[in-house]
Amino acid sequence: MQIARAEPQSKVLRKQAGAWLKVLRARAGLSQIQLAEVLGFKYYTFVSQVENGFGRVPIESMEAWARALGAEPSGFARHLLSYYEPELHRLLFKGK
Amino acid sequence: MSKVVKFPDRAPPLPEGWQADDMQKVIAACSSAVAVGEASTWEIGVTELGDPQVYLMGSPPDYNCILCISRVGRRFVIEDGEGHVLVEQDSPRQLAEQALTALRRRKAALLAKVAVAWHAFREAFEEKTEALTGETMEALVHLAPQLAALA
Repeated sequence: MQIARAEPQSKVLRKQAGAWLKVLRARAGLSQIQLAEVLGFKYYTFVSQVENGFGRVPIESMEAWARALGAEPSGFARHLLSYYEPELHRLLFKGK
Repeated sequence: MSKVVKFPDRAPPLPEGWQADDMQKVIAACSSAVAVGEASTWEIGVTELGDPQVYLMGSPPDYNCILCISRVGRRFVIEDGEGHVLVEQDSPRQLAEQALTALRRRKAALLAKVAVAWHAFREAFEEKTEALTGETMEALVHLAPQLAALA
């Protein structure tokens, strides 16, 4: 008998957010190290942490991430919110 | 035709510059954190450049990353889940202790925040809540500065 163990939804969504950020970074033509430099990090490891779906982009630095990745900050934050806080995103933007 | 899946003969090689001994020390640090209840689990990932990372995950349902241990060149870096560098360590020998210290600091910082918030709440509603919270508040007011100093 095979027992399927589903990953918690929050982990799945964070991984999707990380994959989306990775695509944005690739489009911007930046390596993880280059993005970390633009964001003022001493090490590039946090970029990897976020892209691998373990860490989250902190709210206070969402604008900086958006600009570094060539995205419009408001739309960027809204999209990230749909992964990080899906229920809040639904209440704020879907009106149900 | 055989349906038996052949497993690899040996474990995949570690990325360049990352010693098996180092990885064991990192994993030992994470395992002990999980064992004492400071983390719920740990997972392994890798950076774009192939530097391995070990992530210590917090409690359900969010399983947020509470500590990330990476090796960059010859240096171990411990960060929290928001990218703050907590420890930079060249010696893997002290890594387990450093990771546990970082976790304890994190816990103390959280407790200090709760205590300070509770103190603010009490000041705002002192008259109404005094009878209910007198003893608890006295303890927290003494505790908060000590916890904040630890953080």
